[in-house]
Amino acid sequence: MTEEQNGSRLERINKIISDVPQNTRSMLHKVRHATRRDVSDWLFKGLFALMILVAIAPFFMLIAEIASIGLADLLGTGPGQGIELFTTYPGVGLMGGVLNAIVGTGTLVAIAAAVGIPLSIFGAVYINEYSRPGRMREIVEFAADVLAGIPSIVFGAFGFTFLVFYLNIGMGMVAGGLTLAFMMIPTVMRTTQEALKQVPLSLREASLALGATKWKTTWSITIRAAFPGIITGVLLAIGRVMGETAPLIFTAGNNLGAPTSLVGPGSWVASMPFTIWAYISDPRPYLQMRAHSTALALLLIVLAVDIVANYASRKITRRIV
Amino acid sequence: MDKGKEMREGQSENGNGDIISSLLSRARHGLWILRHGRGGARVDLLGKIGLAIPAFTSILIIVLILSFLWFESIPILTSDVGGPAIFLEPTWDPNRDLYGIGIFIAGSFASTAIAIGIALPVGIGAAIFLSEFCPTKIRGAFRMIVEMMAAVPSIVYGLWAFLVIVPWIKESLAPAVQSNPVTSWIPFFQGNTNGLSLIAGGLILAIMLLPTVISVSDDALRSVPQSLREAALALGASESETARKIVLSAALPGVGAAVVLSLGRAVGETMAVLMVTGNSLQIPYSLFDPCYVMTSIITNQLGYAYIFPMWRSALFAVALVLMLMSICFTTIAKIMIKWGSKTRGIV
Repeated sequence: MTEEQNGSRLERINKIISDVPQNTRSMLHKVRHATRRDVSDWLFKGLFALMILVAIAPFFMLIAEIASIGLADLLGTGPGQGIELFTTYPGVGLMGGVLNAIVGTGTLVAIAAAVGIPLSIFGAVYINEYSRPGRMREIVEFAADVLAGIPSIVFGAFGFTFLVFYLNIGMGMVAGGLTLAFMMIPTVMRTTQEALKQVPLSLREASLALGATKWKTTWSITIRAAFPGIITGVLLAIGRVMGETAPLIFTAGNNLGAPTSLVGPGSWVASMPFTIWAYISDPRPYLQMRAHSTALALLLIVLAVDIVANYASRKITRRIV
Repeated sequence: MDKGKEMREGQSENGNGDIISSLLSRARHGLWILRHGRGGARVDLLGKIGLAIPAFTSILIIVLILSFLWFESIPILTSDVGGPAIFLEPTWDPNRDLYGIGIFIAGSFASTAIAIGIALPVGIGAAIFLSEFCPTKIRGAFRMIVEMMAAVPSIVYGLWAFLVIVPWIKESLAPAVQSNPVTSWIPFFQGNTNGLSLIAGGLILAIMLLPTVISVSDDALRSVPQSLREAALALGASESETARKIVLSAALPGVGAAVVLSLGRAVGETMAVLMVTGNSLQIPYSLFDPCYVMTSIITNQLGYAYIFPMWRSALFAVALVLMLMSICFTTIAKIMIKWGSKTRGIV
């Protein structure tokens, strides 16, 4: 390789380079004159980009795996497949659909919401609007934060021992629903408080200055202004309890049909997470498929609730401490 | 009824002074409003009382749950078969009245350590990319995916881990590291495995922790003022140096809180870990050994243990450990946030 060849090749390359548009050229200029710091800068950026891809890859792998098996069940035409999955009870040999689980999850979430949401929202309004800030309030907030971090199985153990045996409610939808309601209380309470704190004080002052009572101000001004945040908290809590298995193992029992009474053995209910768990431990292949299609349905419902919650208010979504 | 509420009211508001007379006057005032007040005042007072009842109920429930675990675990902690030493004992055999919960604590710590070891670097790197370098067009999409990952029920993660990660460990990962002369001598990689192992639990926990770490760290990084970045860039730092050395250290309290909170979640995760760790009563010495975590033992045995007071009490002692750890993590996270707002003025 001689000097002339080398030089002419450089010229050729320079000609090609001068032909490409300005921004590409400046990028190439940067690459050709890169220092060590530039290179490490790019490497770090690439590393960070790789990490976000690694972090979200499992989500897509999970959806692909569950959908690839679950969709075959959802689109099939056999017994309990297709629309029958949502409209028939399991029946003989669990060949049918999972209507029992859907009814059960609906019942449990309805009971939990009916008990937990009013308690926690009104409680949060009282604590935030009526009680004076101080040590008492800090302790309550800290206790709610601690409770929000407590594992779901501990709620299950509490519900099993306290509700089912000490209060003698018995397993079934009341005990299961109340356990889920207890799980909702800290989440909804803290998000509601957070939403109320973001309402500017001037709104309340303006309302009071116009002669409205405290009750009127709280009800028509403060709560209304904080409404998107409160809705977000409620939906996040519902989405969370909908997917909980551990608290229901001991409190809700299982049922292959719809519940027939409010108390006693007739009130045992299935739920979608519990059904997934029971079916996946079963060796029969069609039950494995059914577990996937149930998981797909549950996943879609929970993600839809989450998207609506994020749409209602993006600010509240994940407040932590 | 109203009087009682009013009295509790007064108690929480006036910590000192002559409490009794102030309470009496408040109660009398309340009764006067109820009897003679105009519509507005009466509605106001009734509404206040109506809101106080749910507040006290929910506080009562919170206190009840927190104290219930303590009362349930007292029998084992004070009896001669148990005592406080059960937290260190490694033998769990309810048939012989041996209630050592040390193996469960060890199993939980091991799987949590693996999970946080994976989730911490990946999560913080991803959060830095998301808040600093991500093109604006796809940033919203990434944030949404991360939020959705946090919403996926743990049973679905467990199903996926059981059917995908466990066979992958059995068929690919374990043979790969055990037949390879570079890694086969390392004691952590020894032992036969059927895939249900400590590393499977650690991996699925890491996947479940990532959304928490990413979204909370991302929030912390985003709240760093823009002027800090501009100052660093103006002094000649490159973009990644700014992100790593300036923005990350300014957001350190928030990122630390994210990590501590996700630790709490890892220890408390139930269904996914239960399905993949193999649930064998032993302390894991290798990554491919099965292990037993605290949440799994409660899930598996509470149903049988209910009629045996000591057995049940031992399980509630495990729950008590979980609760104490949760309190620790929440406190540490709060202290970190407070430290952040004191030293940096931001969260």
